Amino acid sequence: MIRNLVNIVMSGVFHAAILFLVAAGLQVVFGVQKIFNLACGSFYALGAYVGVSAVTAFTAAGGPPWLFIAPLAAAGLAVGLVGVVVERGLLRFVYDRDETFQLLLTFALVLMMEDLIRMTWGTAPRSTAGLYLVYGQARLLDATVPVYNLIVIAASLAIAAGIGWLLTRTAFGRIIRASADNREMAEALGVDMGRVYARVFTLGTALGTLGGALVIPATAAMSEMGIELIVEAFAVVVIGGLGSMRGAFVGALVVGVLRAFAIALYPELEMLLIYLIVIAVLLLRPRGLFGSAAA
Amino acid sequence: MILEARDVTKFYGDFCALAGVSLGVRDGEFVSIIGPNGAGKSTLINVLTGALRPTSGAVRFKERDIHGIGPVALTRLGMARSFQLVHIFPDLTVIETLQAAVVSRLGRGTRLLASLAGDREVQEAALEVAELFGLGGKRHVVARQLPQGDKKLLDVASAFALRPEIILLDEPTSGVSTADKTAIMETLVAASRRIGCRAIIQVEHDMDIVFGYSDRIIALHQGKVLADAPPAAIKADRHVVDTVIGRPRPAPHPTPPAAG
Amino acid sequence: MTGRVILALVTLAVLVLPLVAPAYYVLLMLPFMAYAVVLLGLNLLFGYAGLVSFGHALFIGIGAYTGAVLTTHTSVRSLEVILLAAAGLGAAAAMLVGALCVRYVKIYFGMLTLAFGMVFYTFLLKFYHWTGGDEGMRVLRPRLLGFALDAMPKVEYLAGPYYYYSLGVLAVATVVMWRIVHSPFGLCLRTVRDNPAKAEALGLGVTRYRWHAFVISGVYAAVGGALLGPPTGNVDPTLAYWTQSGNIVFMTLLGGFASFFGPVLGAFAFIFLQDTVMSVVPYWRLIFGAILAFIVIVAPGGLMGLFARGRPREVAAR
Repeated sequence: MIRNLVNIVMSGVFHAAILFLVAAGLQVVFGVQKIFNLACGSFYALGAYVGVSAVTAFTAAGGPPWLFIAPLAAAGLAVGLVGVVVERGLLRFVYDRDETFQLLLTFALVLMMEDLIRMTWGTAPRSTAGLYLVYGQARLLDATVPVYNLIVIAASLAIAAGIGWLLTRTAFGRIIRASADNREMAEALGVDMGRVYARVFTLGTALGTLGGALVIPATAAMSEMGIELIVEAFAVVVIGGLGSMRGAFVGALVVGVLRAFAIALYPELEMLLIYLIVIAVLLLRPRGLFGSAAA
Repeated sequence: MILEARDVTKFYGDFCALAGVSLGVRDGEFVSIIGPNGAGKSTLINVLTGALRPTSGAVRFKERDIHGIGPVALTRLGMARSFQLVHIFPDLTVIETLQAAVVSRLGRGTRLLASLAGDREVQEAALEVAELFGLGGKRHVVARQLPQGDKKLLDVASAFALRPEIILLDEPTSGVSTADKTAIMETLVAASRRIGCRAIIQVEHDMDIVFGYSDRIIALHQGKVLADAPPAAIKADRHVVDTVIGRPRPAPHPTPPAAG
Repeated sequence: MTGRVILALVTLAVLVLPLVAPAYYVLLMLPFMAYAVVLLGLNLLFGYAGLVSFGHALFIGIGAYTGAVLTTHTSVRSLEVILLAAAGLGAAAAMLVGALCVRYVKIYFGMLTLAFGMVFYTFLLKFYHWTGGDEGMRVLRPRLLGFALDAMPKVEYLAGPYYYYSLGVLAVATVVMWRIVHSPFGLCLRTVRDNPAKAEALGLGVTRYRWHAFVISGVYAAVGGALLGPPTGNVDPTLAYWTQSGNIVFMTLLGGFASFFGPVLGAFAFIFLQDTVMSVVPYWRLIFGAILAFIVIVAPGGLMGLFARGRPREVAAR
């Protein structure tokens, strides 16, 4: 009994760790640029596929299996630079437009990236066969948990702390928070919005691609993973509150753990329960748990 | 009393916009509300038209407490307003805007399958209002393309198209050149007589207009009613004149010849 | 004047198509007509009420599955009954969902509708005892106006009687929507879109009008969805997925949401372009994504916007 509970919770927390990364990317972009990036799921998928390729190349070149997490994470982060291309090449043309059009542009991105990924990696799922348990398993209260999961959870927590530090202790973080609060004022104070937007969007993208890369050993890279994840990420930010980092953290935990319980107990329910919660939140408290009241 | 405010107070957080404002408007009156910026005039209009709820106090329209009724229902009861910052429908033409008001007045908004173009009553009523306000020639112009003064006029005209029993105008002549102001006021008065409007309340800064047309003037200052009297009495009230109206500056004298 | 001529020519072309064109293209017109009905309704919500729904695939799904359930689980085979049932169920669902969603605007409206859409999708996918899960449900050939044409070969049936039936439904749907848009209701809806505060000051209840528009659009989407079933003979949950909702918004934008016929043009362009692209290379999403990006950035008025450039008054007079 305890073993099942621990398994469910740990699996949920692992999923939450990944979700947090993607959601954090969503939040920072929404908070500053007020754009809900539907393509965050696509970046997640991109990170996954690039991660697989990087690890496969690494092991084929003779790299030791126990070191695989290094190229995995590095590739995940590096491909986040795609964000610069997307932001400068597409997004910046619609900053002054109605949010509907901004949303539709990110939808266009979803469509394009889906096919670009398909063109590059084909439609068959890709995985890092067998590397998941390279680090072994740990015993936790009668259950066995892959050490890889614990590494990812720890990494995610570290990144969460890092983001917190970035936002509160660095100049860039202050600029982010000021721009999120009041863009015109920040501009009037001399902030170069173009640069801020480019960097913020790249940060958001990198978080998403990293999340995708880190999830690879536990699952496989599949063509629908992006559009499926977006609805989970969407649930996270609604529950947590649009634009809030704390919201991304708590929301990811809620969604991740609830989903794990739902899958274990009532598989039909799975996401249904999550969506009903999203609807309830939107109806009863639209700003979510930590969102600002200006909804 | 058509419209009454009893001890209306409105707080925005800690800031007191209105402090115990009481006033009443009777049949046939033209009342002007004056006061310096920040005196609470627009807040008062918003409370009177149901767009804002007072923190305390009551507003009665036609002997009925309007607490919680909301602007839509109030309009149906016979109240109309125009806005200080011009409110138009950017993508609708002048005549469409007026038609919308008439459709609302006649309660035809739920007619899904009827033809608007074929509804003669709506067409004629809208056209009448357009001509009354001098917008007849521009009736097919899309509202966003109108010059600022005409936009203002359209805002006011659409309020009149509702044939309200009482109309509240928030700075109807602001943004309009001095030469046109009198023309607009004459149009307003003529229109209200034409449609059987029972009272007009306006917020206005131009003292010539205020003194020229009002039966009564209410002076607001820092959220309180400073004075509530006919124009003559207001002019004689030094405190009001000092605080709200201001004195005309003495014309510069030529240097007097040296005395002695 | 030119508009009427174009309309007449198009109507003529559509009427004679089955007689002159290869069956392949005639069959391609069927989903186009179904989506055209959907889009007429969606544009009432998008273009005339100013609300962007990211969950309208919900109603398409309701309509499609109504046809499947009725033909396979009951003795009902009449397409008229199916369409009416779809309209009724679509209305019921839209009244409920709409009542909850129309109090919100912009992104919150979009998110709420997306969530409702996904709830229905998940229901369709997971409750496979009732819905057939990811394989979906079959739709048996319906009777058209009382005629059971089961003996006819499939292609002949679809490219003949079914084509003209769909065309008839589209024609009726178009006429009704034209009347709605040019009615007092349509005018009031536009005021609510343009300036909700002023609309209220004129005595028009903003939420009420949005709700009506939402319900009408839901009915149209369900009717369109019901028409989608018979040609393929099968309906599945992907009809209700959120990307489907995104695609129909895309079609609306492609054709031009500021005009009456824009979305229909968008549906046509989407379906036929998708077919053309897919015959060459399977990566239609890449091209369509690029087209959508182009429209959003450069030509938000869509195809109709490009045509109307020479005649700006078209947009205002509608």
